[in-house]
Amino acid sequence: MATVTPSLGAHGHADDHAHGHGHHEQSFLSKYVFSTDHKVIGIQFLVTTLLMLMVGGALALAVRWQLAFPWGSMPIVGKLFGLFQGEGGQISPEFYTMLFTMHASVMIFLVIIPVLAGAFGNFLIPLQIGADDMAFPILNMLSYWFMWPAIFCFGISFVAGGATAGPANGWTSYPLLSDLAQASPSSGAAQTWWLFGLTLVGVSSMMGSVNYMTTIINMRAPGMTLFRMPLTIWSMFITAILQSFALPVLTAAGFMLVFDRLGSLLPTDIHSVFFIPAGIVVNNAAPTVGGGQPLLWQHLFWFYSHPAVYIMLLPAMGMVSDMLACMCRKPVFGYKPMVYSMAAIAGLGFIVWGHHMFTSGMNPALGMTFMTSTMMIALPSAIKVFNWIGTIWDGNLRFNAVFLNCAGFVAMFVVGGLSGIFMAAVPVDIYFHDTYFIVAHFHYVLFGATLFGVFAAIQFWFPKMFGRLMNDSVQKWHFALTFIGFNGTFFPMHLLGIAGMPRRYADPYLHGYLEHLLPMNQFMTISAILMGFAQFLLLGNFAYSFFYGAKAGRNPWGANGLEWSAPSPPGHGNFDEPPVCYRGPYEYSSPEAEALGQDFILQTTPTPPGVKKSDAHGH
Amino acid sequence: MSLTPSWNKILCGMALAFASGCSDTDSSFVYSDRTLSLMPEAQDGIKGETPIAGVKALIDERFGDPQNLKAWMKLPVDFGGANTTVAKIAKSAEGTPALTLAGEDGSELPAKAVFVEFLSGACEGEIAEITEWDAETGVAVLSDSLTGKLAEGDLCSIDRAQVLKSGRGLYMRHCSHCHGTSGDGQGPTAEYLNPRPRDYRHGVFKFTSTNDMSKVSRDDLKRILKYGIPGTYMPSFLLLEEGELHAIVEYVRFLSLRGEYERKLVNEVSGDYSITALESRVGQSESRESIVAELKEFLSADLAEAANSIGDDLAEQWGGADTDEARIIPSVPRVEDSVESRRRGRELYLSKTLNCADCHGMDGAGNGPQTIAFEKNPITNDLYNEPGLHDVWDNLNQPRNLHTGIYRGGRRPIDLFCRIHAGIKGSRMPSFKNTPHEDIWHLVNYILSLPYESEPGATGTEAAAPAAAEVAQ
Amino acid sequence: MKKFWALFFIFWPIVALYVCFVAPSRGWWFPSEPMSTLGHQIDGLFYLILFIVTLTFIGTQIAMGYVLWKGATKTPGAKAMFSHGSHKLEIIWTIVPSFILVFISLTQLEVLANIRVISNFPEEARNAPIAEVTARQFEWRIRYPKPGTTLATEPQPGDLYFVNELHVPTNQLVMINLRTQDVQHAFFSPQLRVKQDAVPGLVIPVWFEVEKAGTYDLVCAELCGWGHYKMKARIVAESTREVQQYIADLENAQNEDGVADDTSDDSE
Repeated sequence: MATVTPSLGAHGHADDHAHGHGHHEQSFLSKYVFSTDHKVIGIQFLVTTLLMLMVGGALALAVRWQLAFPWGSMPIVGKLFGLFQGEGGQISPEFYTMLFTMHASVMIFLVIIPVLAGAFGNFLIPLQIGADDMAFPILNMLSYWFMWPAIFCFGISFVAGGATAGPANGWTSYPLLSDLAQASPSSGAAQTWWLFGLTLVGVSSMMGSVNYMTTIINMRAPGMTLFRMPLTIWSMFITAILQSFALPVLTAAGFMLVFDRLGSLLPTDIHSVFFIPAGIVVNNAAPTVGGGQPLLWQHLFWFYSHPAVYIMLLPAMGMVSDMLACMCRKPVFGYKPMVYSMAAIAGLGFIVWGHHMFTSGMNPALGMTFMTSTMMIALPSAIKVFNWIGTIWDGNLRFNAVFLNCAGFVAMFVVGGLSGIFMAAVPVDIYFHDTYFIVAHFHYVLFGATLFGVFAAIQFWFPKMFGRLMNDSVQKWHFALTFIGFNGTFFPMHLLGIAGMPRRYADPYLHGYLEHLLPMNQFMTISAILMGFAQFLLLGNFAYSFFYGAKAGRNPWGANGLEWSAPSPPGHGNFDEPPVCYRGPYEYSSPEAEALGQDFILQTTPTPPGVKKSDAHGH
Repeated sequence: MSLTPSWNKILCGMALAFASGCSDTDSSFVYSDRTLSLMPEAQDGIKGETPIAGVKALIDERFGDPQNLKAWMKLPVDFGGANTTVAKIAKSAEGTPALTLAGEDGSELPAKAVFVEFLSGACEGEIAEITEWDAETGVAVLSDSLTGKLAEGDLCSIDRAQVLKSGRGLYMRHCSHCHGTSGDGQGPTAEYLNPRPRDYRHGVFKFTSTNDMSKVSRDDLKRILKYGIPGTYMPSFLLLEEGELHAIVEYVRFLSLRGEYERKLVNEVSGDYSITALESRVGQSESRESIVAELKEFLSADLAEAANSIGDDLAEQWGGADTDEARIIPSVPRVEDSVESRRRGRELYLSKTLNCADCHGMDGAGNGPQTIAFEKNPITNDLYNEPGLHDVWDNLNQPRNLHTGIYRGGRRPIDLFCRIHAGIKGSRMPSFKNTPHEDIWHLVNYILSLPYESEPGATGTEAAAPAAAEVAQ
Repeated sequence: MKKFWALFFIFWPIVALYVCFVAPSRGWWFPSEPMSTLGHQIDGLFYLILFIVTLTFIGTQIAMGYVLWKGATKTPGAKAMFSHGSHKLEIIWTIVPSFILVFISLTQLEVLANIRVISNFPEEARNAPIAEVTARQFEWRIRYPKPGTTLATEPQPGDLYFVNELHVPTNQLVMINLRTQDVQHAFFSPQLRVKQDAVPGLVIPVWFEVEKAGTYDLVCAELCGWGHYKMKARIVAESTREVQQYIADLENAQNEDGVADDTSDDSE
């Protein structure tokens, strides 16, 4: 940590001994901007998503402000932009609705999905399987550059309907609210732009998925059998399969909704009626004609969006398994059960979408089926938790911020998983549906689990990305503050849910039975502000370490994976010479490693003579 | 409740560190476009040794701003508070004044008292904080001494404008995002609504139980608050408490009066002193200085007087709305609903004298010939851009389709009676007050039957069914 | 420092459990006892799951705390245990949770059937819905059948209308027809533990039995636009006689002609 030396272009800096294949000079544009190098693309995704994380976080704080100080003057938004000058900074309800809609949209589509698959998937897949790049580098580049039109569309949607409104139909965009322009008139064209953005994110993800599947199947290094792949790769592989099967349904549904909304874009009355039943009058518009069915959207939407929940979680599970093993200097407990349980989660993930619709009025017999399948999905999740605890058990723990974030991941995932059981049970869900209980649940999974995993992963693979280490003390502070702020914000939401506070209310205290929850909401908002500002530690550390972090060698953590045999940062083509894999990635503290006098053994290191090979996969 | 109050205070304090306000917002009243079209001197007054108040100052002086509402005694608004007289003057242990207050005409004193405002005597206009209050004896210890010399018998008021203040709080929470802080119907949500929310500043409300020439009554406003206006975005606030409803009604009256006052005041000035008038006068080689000098004269003498009489007129009109004279009471009870009565109603509906079909269409579908004719804007004399009928707020306001079963002003027979008798104020629905009341009842019977039968006696016909499907209420 | 972090992870579940433990006494719990028959069944299932989940939570957090503490107090330089896992453990922690989960599922089925399966609805309630509740942006419009008639799907002459207040008899199974005039809404009464979406184009029957007379909240639980939070209404449960009286009063008020008596202005 003491070696603070200025670096010349730490990232993407061509290492002296890189590239076995024709290296030619590249322009700045093709090297760092329209790059086809998976590492550059991964880093581009990472930086973009961190930026979007701040946008989404700011939106969340605005939501929390309104909940703590309803109709009070909202800082920044209220006055600075002059949006609500005449009201003395008091925001309007449709603005609030836009805030939470865009918070969810940005966080899900521009942060969590791309940071996992886009950033880490891109960066890690070729490195961990020993490939020199992705199977389709140009497709890979396009998958990043299709994010920008998506960001552009989401950005336009903020202003398309006027500065004080935007898409305001929730990230789920249930028709008819999202369908009839008059039902949510403040959304107007913004909602259509939002749908385009959604579709473009889908295009980007799809390009990534195809690439990941092909790369993982075809481009593994010699000796890298399927069951020698790190769990990160398994999780990325399963995620890619999920994406590619579920996404087309959402894309189709999105286009159906766009066609239903044509009237909001073109000066025409011609539009489809996929989701519009007849005889509906909103905002004194003419009664609708048509025989559509709003529930169709819910089925199609959740057919994608439930698997998408696992798309937002599985890669983090894989990465955390990798990092935990490394930081505990122990093999992952039950490698194969981990793989099978991920596959089970993905498989079951396709047949549980109906649990989002328990109160929608669909056939109750379906409800029973969906309840049982949903309950069963808790099983593989439980197995994973037990295995993580088993991995920590009697390990040689390194209490650095990577480990702490991973342990935070496990602890938070337990809460998120257990709260899910309440909502899987239909009768209990009838009470909890659309209350803050569900808000607590999915934040524990998506933030508590996934983002803590991402925080760990950023620090863990930072040296591989930029050749420098992040400051661990700052990361520990970041972890502690985020963890406290997170629990202070989201744990009380369970209680709000039990108290029956519905979500998406601009002013819950209008209702007598919720009035007494105001102080609790104020406490939560203070916690959220703490958590929000703690993220500057991460960003600051990221930027500082990029320039001034301690130089890292090839393998600063003493880890086993193939990526740690490459230079830090790896040059074009990744490895000095095509790697050969001799064993699984988790043989920490194995007899083989001991024979070398260390507690790790790279997958590329041949078995030392006279030592029994310990690559056991019976479990 | 769950956290202790002190903890709550700490939280609020922390929040204050982030923003200027904890719960109150620092909003402001806006002046109407017509006020802003006056020449600057007329708006802002003329400075000098003896400054002369302009239109804005005249409004502000009487109505204040949202944070500091003025309780102008002339207005028929319940400002709240108790009127008292000073019965005894003493000193407290701390040396600050300790007054004994007596309720007006021996009326009871309020249990709580926060401040006292002096209405007459040497301290007139002063407001003092009450630190200790005993409702039994009426002893009020003030926080600070007064600048003027108090005398026994001085009038003062405890917690004046409290009703208005709480009305404003409720209004900002429930109403302002549509109706706007100033009641101009231009809150942030307004632009998305069809029909647009009411602009109070004309002092006109559509659905009243009062005569065609009368203002809206408190009961009418409260009724609209409680039951909403079906078929529009005005929702029902049924579950607000009676006191809250009262406070909102008073605040809406206050805003309406402010708007109407401003409107009438500007009417006095705009003919000669608007920016356009100024331009044309300067064009006719009047010097600007002479116009300002004339304005100075006008503002200090004529306008001040006009302002007073406008106030008196408004007070009379708005005060009169709650009286029995203003209220519509049918001279005959409702004619029993029967096929004959409905047939008579239909005849009247089609008759030359009433000519309902001209707007509402032959079969009551709201598609009469007037709905496709281009109307002239009565103020500017220009044709409106779109065909159809317009209301005084310049919004397209087409006649109702009587088949939908949606009655914005209420579905009781008396509600429909009032709609026909007094018309719908501000809209092109005229008053038929000279029609015999019995005939109005026949019409009411006919109109009430329209959602269910296309023609009197033709119950359950096919034609009525699709209309029924979109019934809202 | 290692011990600090181990304690950090041991400490937070204790805080979490404490908060949950004191929550009911602080009012951070259900808004009231369940006031409907199905509410009792739902709460029973909730507490069953809460019990199982709490045990699991405590179990996993103890395990987590144990392994962390053990790791934090391990002598520096000691060797980590070299193990790839245990078949036996994997089998145990697969089988045991699956039994528990199937058990939870099975306990739900009957209540679910009672709430949602229409053939399970009591005949008398099924044949005579007491009112039609139509959600619209942003209020609840109630339509009662003309006294002496049954509720028709479409409005009939003489039907009685009200807004944001539904009167139902107590100790009797009542069914309402739920529909929406515009977008999707959800009929949610927290005290009665009733929730059902109102889906455009559908008429959805909802039934419940209120056990105690009183006034209960009725709110919207599905995003329906900017005024979602404004859909504040109430369900008034009272004796059958009082409901009949209420309907009679409503009928009078709705036929008000402003002449007969001019004092009942606000009784509608």
